[in-house]
Amino acid sequence: MRWVVSFALALALAATPLLLSQVPARAHEGILANGLLPPMPVPADNPQTDGKVRLGAQLYFDTRLSADNTISCGSCHDPRYGWANPNPTDTGINGQVGGRNSGTVINSGHMRYQFWDGRAGSLEEQALGPIHNPIEMGETLENVLRKLNAVPAYVEQFRAVFGTDVTTDGMAKAIAAFERSIVSGPSPYDRWLMGESEAMSAAALRGQRLFNGKAHCSPCHSGPMFSDQSFHNLGAGMDRPKPDLGRFDHTKNPADRGKFKVPTLRNIAQTPPYLHTGAEKTLLDVVNFYDRGGVPNPDLDPLMLPLHLTAGEKQDLVAFLEALSGPVAKVEIPQFPVGPGEVADPKGGLR
Amino acid sequence: MNRGRCLALLAALVAVISCLPADAWAIPVFARKYGVNCTMCHTAYPRLNDFGARFRDQGYRMIGREDAEKTVLESPPPVAARTSAGYDYIEMRNVPSPSLKRGLEVSGLDILAAGLLGQRIGFFMVFVPGITEARGLAGQEATLESANLVFSEIGGSELSLRAGRFEPAYTAFSVKRHLGVAAYDVYDYSFPGGLQYSATQTGLEFRYGGSGRLRGAAGLVEGSGTNRASDNPQDAYLRLEGVVGAGEGQTAGQRIGLVGYMGRARPDVSVAAPTDELQSFNRVGVDASLNTRGVNLGLQYLWAHDDGALWGQADATTWDGGFAELSVVPGMNTVVLARVDMVGEPSFLDRDVWRYTAGGRYYFEDNVAAHLEYSHQVITSTAPDDPTEDFFTLRVDLAF
Repeated sequence: MRWVVSFALALALAATPLLLSQVPARAHEGILANGLLPPMPVPADNPQTDGKVRLGAQLYFDTRLSADNTISCGSCHDPRYGWANPNPTDTGINGQVGGRNSGTVINSGHMRYQFWDGRAGSLEEQALGPIHNPIEMGETLENVLRKLNAVPAYVEQFRAVFGTDVTTDGMAKAIAAFERSIVSGPSPYDRWLMGESEAMSAAALRGQRLFNGKAHCSPCHSGPMFSDQSFHNLGAGMDRPKPDLGRFDHTKNPADRGKFKVPTLRNIAQTPPYLHTGAEKTLLDVVNFYDRGGVPNPDLDPLMLPLHLTAGEKQDLVAFLEALSGPVAKVEIPQFPVGPGEVADPKGGLR
Repeated sequence: MNRGRCLALLAALVAVISCLPADAWAIPVFARKYGVNCTMCHTAYPRLNDFGARFRDQGYRMIGREDAEKTVLESPPPVAARTSAGYDYIEMRNVPSPSLKRGLEVSGLDILAAGLLGQRIGFFMVFVPGITEARGLAGQEATLESANLVFSEIGGSELSLRAGRFEPAYTAFSVKRHLGVAAYDVYDYSFPGGLQYSATQTGLEFRYGGSGRLRGAAGLVEGSGTNRASDNPQDAYLRLEGVVGAGEGQTAGQRIGLVGYMGRARPDVSVAAPTDELQSFNRVGVDASLNTRGVNLGLQYLWAHDDGALWGQADATTWDGGFAELSVVPGMNTVVLARVDMVGEPSFLDRDVWRYTAGGRYYFEDNVAAHLEYSHQVITSTAPDDPTEDFFTLRVDLAF
């Protein structure tokens, strides 16, 4: 009899995991869940139109927006490199080297803040910033307007799209509309979420569990964009003699010292190097950076803790990050309208 | 254990391993609320990691996401349960009533609820339902083990207040969340009927600290169970701790703590005490939790000074004890531990308690673990045969 009781208990034990298996995977539920990308949000005062996107593409790749006609938006946000920059930091006109890594344009319309320090609240606000940044494109907006208004085809397009000559407002809106058109399609993670159980490898699935657990990624990299759209101090670059204080330089709030925007992780595998410093060359390097708990500094985020990930766990985490890349439609360098005596760089400023 | 039951147990474990689904997720209260795995807060459940310690200390709010928090009215039902089942073997020798208990058993059931009532008001509750002991079923008395509110960031500061019934800060190593089954003897030792250091207490506790390296806690609690209903809260304590390096001393960083506890208790009715008035007892503890990659060494020393009447003695008495616990995480799903406990009983008893424990856990999932543990306790004295207790368990521990 006792043996029968024991066997019954053993069966009950065995049934436990079967009961647990009825629990659905919950990776896409909860406050820190990720999930599928929603439709691209479009501002009411800047609706997407084909003509505007085409105009935006021309402006995006037009080197005449820079002081010496050598740099376009695409020079630093290069479609060949995940719409980002393969170098640690930007190089602007006259070989000037900037201080931060170029963020990707892919899905950037889903981000609440633009630039690493979040100083722009929209793509329209962001679009003109690099033009008059002395280290990047180094041109005045007045000169850009003068140059573009001298190109009849541009004026014609602006009139067709905005009903005006070339204006800075129109430029910003057209570039923003083009950038909103740069979106990624379903990644293996998305396809897995939609029920394609084989879409992610076993390593990526293990990595996802780490992402939402031991590796402590999801408290910041949550939501469909894998970013909670906030700012954190990871310590990256804070051990330099004159560290970049990030969001503090914009807000002057002491609580923002050393904080930078949480970037999207979608298509992250296509955009090395990483962090605002561009100091981490590979995804594994980034994982190692987090595993160390970042760089100690007085304002280090309390989320930053040593993780003690094993070598296998790091590889799994990288596999998951690689599974966040979806296809992005190929964009051809457009034909540029030219004015009297002007020739646009046919390569669109790509270097 | 006879051969049949061995086979049954083995069959059960094999079945558990083979049937576990690859995509099962941990779903206890907070994991369900945030959509994360248990390992966010427990590197080896039930023990908290550094992230989990910070989450608890700031009133069950996600670090850096306080403004996006949801209360219990805005999130899934905040209820979870924990239990374990498996084979237990307990044998006591050289005691007045030697005993042997062995067999398959379901042991313990806790019903947990936790979450936020407001943006800065957290709550945590553990209800232990009453279970009548039966063959194959460990009995337990119904009790409200924990039921407390945490008011965080009082006045915008790093001060928090925990009120209700809770696990006080003076237990440097959580008894409710430790990896082993065998008790920390020094936490359970006391004068007859007196304060069980490991037990939850009802009272108030202020905690200070969060971002800094120096933290503190002070509390006022009901104290010993021998006190009368008409007695005011009698016991107060103060804990200071410092952490060196990144972390909270759970899995990263080095934590050192100091505790002082002052209490008053009435002698138990079982003690032939000359008085039934309140008597004093004091505890001073020092502890350390030292970490290097995947290895934790926990050290606790506790010194006690009790009025003699609490022991039925004329003079005050002292006793002390502690433990050293080493836990290692050699792989993704495994943790092993070894511990030595010692209690030097009051001098008039002329005996010491030693316990040696070794064990490990294998995690099928974050919230389902196979637990193997052996513990041997011996009470050394001048008597010819020292009393011993041998405890062995192989069980599945789960929370859902």
